[in-house]
Amino acid sequence: MEQAQAASPSAGKCPFTGQGAASLEGASLKDVMAHPNAFYQTLRSEAPVYFDAKLNMWLVSRYDDIVTVLRDPQTYSDKHGYAAMYANGYFEEFKQILERDGGGFFADAIKDDPPGHTRVRRLLENAFTAHRVATLEPGITRIIVELIEKLVEKGASGQVVDGVKDFAIPLTIRVICEQLGLAEFNADKIQAWSGAVTAQISKMQDREQMLGNAAQICDLQNFIIGEMKARQDQPREDMISDIVHAKLDDGSVLEFGEAVSLIRALIIAGNDTTATAIGNLMFVLATRPEVAKALQDSVDDDRLLNRFVEELLRIEPPVRGLAKMTTREVELGGVKLPAHAHLLVLYASGNDDETQFACPRNFDINRANIGKHVAFGVGVHRCVGASLSRMEIKVAAREISRRIADIKLAIPAEQIAYLPTVATRQIERLPITIKRR
Amino acid sequence: MGIKVTFVQADGVEKTIENIAPGESMMEIGRFNGVEGILGDCGGSCACATCHVYVDAAWEARAGKPDDVETSTLDMAPDVLPNSRLCCQIRLRDELDGLRVTVAPSF
Ligand code: HEM
Ligand code: FES
Repeated sequence: MEQAQAASPSAGKCPFTGQGAASLEGASLKDVMAHPNAFYQTLRSEAPVYFDAKLNMWLVSRYDDIVTVLRDPQTYSDKHGYAAMYANGYFEEFKQILERDGGGFFADAIKDDPPGHTRVRRLLENAFTAHRVATLEPGITRIIVELIEKLVEKGASGQVVDGVKDFAIPLTIRVICEQLGLAEFNADKIQAWSGAVTAQISKMQDREQMLGNAAQICDLQNFIIGEMKARQDQPREDMISDIVHAKLDDGSVLEFGEAVSLIRALIIAGNDTTATAIGNLMFVLATRPEVAKALQDSVDDDRLLNRFVEELLRIEPPVRGLAKMTTREVELGGVKLPAHAHLLVLYASGNDDETQFACPRNFDINRANIGKHVAFGVGVHRCVGASLSRMEIKVAAREISRRIADIKLAIPAEQIAYLPTVATRQIERLPITIKRR
Repeated sequence: MGIKVTFVQADGVEKTIENIAPGESMMEIGRFNGVEGILGDCGGSCACATCHVYVDAAWEARAGKPDDVETSTLDMAPDVLPNSRLCCQIRLRDELDGLRVTVAPSF
């Protein structure tokens, strides 16, 4: 299959490459966060498992090594990798604040290693099966059309709109809140809470920011606990009730703290990443005419549209890198890693690996290995929200294409700001002008 | 007693599993018994295509065709053939006693 691609006419002369003259002398991901592809390429070719001294982490950049790590959760622990990220050096203080003001410190039950992980994972898998998500399409379409109509109305009067803040973020927040059963939500609050939780794995947080974020997370947890209590005696038809009253496969029930952590994980994981994908969608539509054309050609064919979404996730993966930690000495990519080596698995680099994806910077929905990307991870921790986010992105792409024309950046592309975090590559604000189609 | 199924791995090795209770999915059986290439990352949510198999001709009719959702997910996988299925979507029942599938090449 890959051979067929290598023999394609575009082989060897990709118009978009990540190639550039990045030297590794003391180089750090920290210094190239907004535009990392050239750096990834240098890593893959020169130091596929590279110690980044500024981050104090090993960067894993080749597709094959990434899959090796993700398929061996006992050697490469998600739990310890995550814990070592949390609060970026201020963990004890952070924990005390949560215990004092936030109802407790609740470790993420889903960020565990097998077998503990397996026990709770099933519950989340069952919540978002592809079949269940398919039944949500009409409701998701309604939400998206309503938001687009508002956006178009504003845009049609010549005003600059924000593709992230006015569209992508409110969209994904509404969808996940509806699923969880949070009717009376406050989108600004949820966005602030998401930022505070994701900052914990950003590697960029200083103490002052930690204090602000800890306060936000206390607020979030108190909110979750209140919602749980309201469903304790009177369950409703929603996911919070399902979690509060869940019986697990092994017959056990969730502990209180586990339940809080799962609801917290769904609120956060369920909106930021997907909003990032939809922000990226707007950005590529505004900047790459051939992608806009690919969408236009796919919009009435569900199969092509699904492939469009996968290729978008491959070429602009929302999640850049997540942490794992070795539990023993092990060799990876030719490098001998000690036990407790802290790794940053660069999904984004795996998706850009030219040994797997011919001309990786080309947007090509006809790739024979379209589903091979690692935007959702692989292995036991593979994203449980994949079907839900695919549906949100697909419907957003379809309705944007049908209702909006002439998406243009309102500021130069170089001025687009990305959030300061190693975990995601996330456009902060996306000022655009649009017209009604 | 129970249901018997056979997986032919990509390396040609055959794994036959017996005494299966009705109701389990073919993916769960394959994964639990260490069939190579049946990874089942999404736990049977029809979202990952890491449980792709080819159903033997004799069993195609009884195993059935993929529905729309399964067809969409299958489209992400390499080397899809007319007898491709995501085996997490095949629930075992008495009628499928003897089912034989070949594991598709992985991603
Ligand atoms: C485009 C959107 C999304 C992307 C790119 C994404 C990506 C990822 C990635 C890379 C992982 C980690 C895999 C690993 O540890 O190697 C993950 C895990 C997870 N995601 Fe997503 N995700 C998205 C949307 C969602 C949504 C909508 C939800 C909730 C409904 C969600 C819930 C989760 C949860 C709970 C986990 C932890 C699973 C586990 O550790 O077992 N995600 N996601
Ligand atoms: S196990 Fe994921 S699609 Fe079958």
